Amino acid sequence: MRYKAILAALLFMMALPAMAASWQPTNKYSIRFSSNDASGIFKTFSSTLVFDEQNLGTSKFTATVEVASINTGNGLQNKHAKGAEWFDATTYPQIRFVSDKIVKAGSGYQATGTLEMHGVKKQVTIPFTFQRKGNAGTFAGSFSVNRNDYHIGKAGNKVEEVIRIDISVPVVQK
Amino acid sequence: MLRKILLHGFTAGVLAALASLVYQQIYFKSLGADFSTVISTTGIIATCVGATLLASLGYFLVQRLLKSRAPAVFNLLLLLLSFASIVGPFAIKLPLELEAPELFPGLTVPMHFFPALAWLALSPLFYPMQVPAEKRA
Repeated sequence: MRYKAILAALLFMMALPAMAASWQPTNKYSIRFSSNDASGIFKTFSSTLVFDEQNLGTSKFTATVEVASINTGNGLQNKHAKGAEWFDATTYPQIRFVSDKIVKAGSGYQATGTLEMHGVKKQVTIPFTFQRKGNAGTFAGSFSVNRNDYHIGKAGNKVEEVIRIDISVPVVQK
Repeated sequence: MLRKILLHGFTAGVLAALASLVYQQIYFKSLGADFSTVISTTGIIATCVGATLLASLGYFLVQRLLKSRAPAVFNLLLLLLSFASIVGPFAIKLPLELEAPELFPGLTVPMHFFPALAWLALSPLFYPMQVPAEKRA
């Protein structure tokens, strides 16, 4: 009986380093996209964020953005963006990112994983920072995507092909 | 004459502002769309009065140029300008924190016609129709 208790305690202690902290996004998040021709936000976002600065091997991000929640600040542009020529929100209602690995990069980190948008999956690397304040913190990252890679909009039309994405996700520890 | 035309413009502006504010309240209460951060009460009053005072100056100039044909030409011009101005609400880029920007034109497009409507509605009060003496008999 005593040996079983010691074994259970040892197993628990061995498992401890593998358990990275889980973070819950607050509703103050912001997912912005911008280029010289088009800019806006996605209002609906959900995610599972498992992240520990000391244990990046077990850290993992899964994020989903609802395409229909796009807001460019103009009703006609919103309708156009959700339409078949652009995001085709009816057929592809979500943009999804699932990380494969998270590594330290300079003063920040890099999450490499699969970004699925408009039915196309591509490997991307998202540089980000994490600023911890006690049991809360903020993930912030910026990266660019080429809309042609995801067959969004017509190639060569007047909207720039490279779109910058800025993400800021304040979180609290679960 | 200019004073009378300016008074016409000012009164029409106040009437248009009143109509716009009432319409804004009806729109908000029926659709829940609140764009008060973009179009404030002061902004509505200033725009309506400013537009109709500008129309007054326009009417004054048209009257000096075209004499008896001025009202017809001016009214047509006022209608065309009001119609052209509706491009604005469709093209505007609203602050991203505002919900449902697609409801913005529904609020503001009718407002773009209120100054012209008020101007035309008040015209008979300021410029009563001149009936020729032979027809009066």
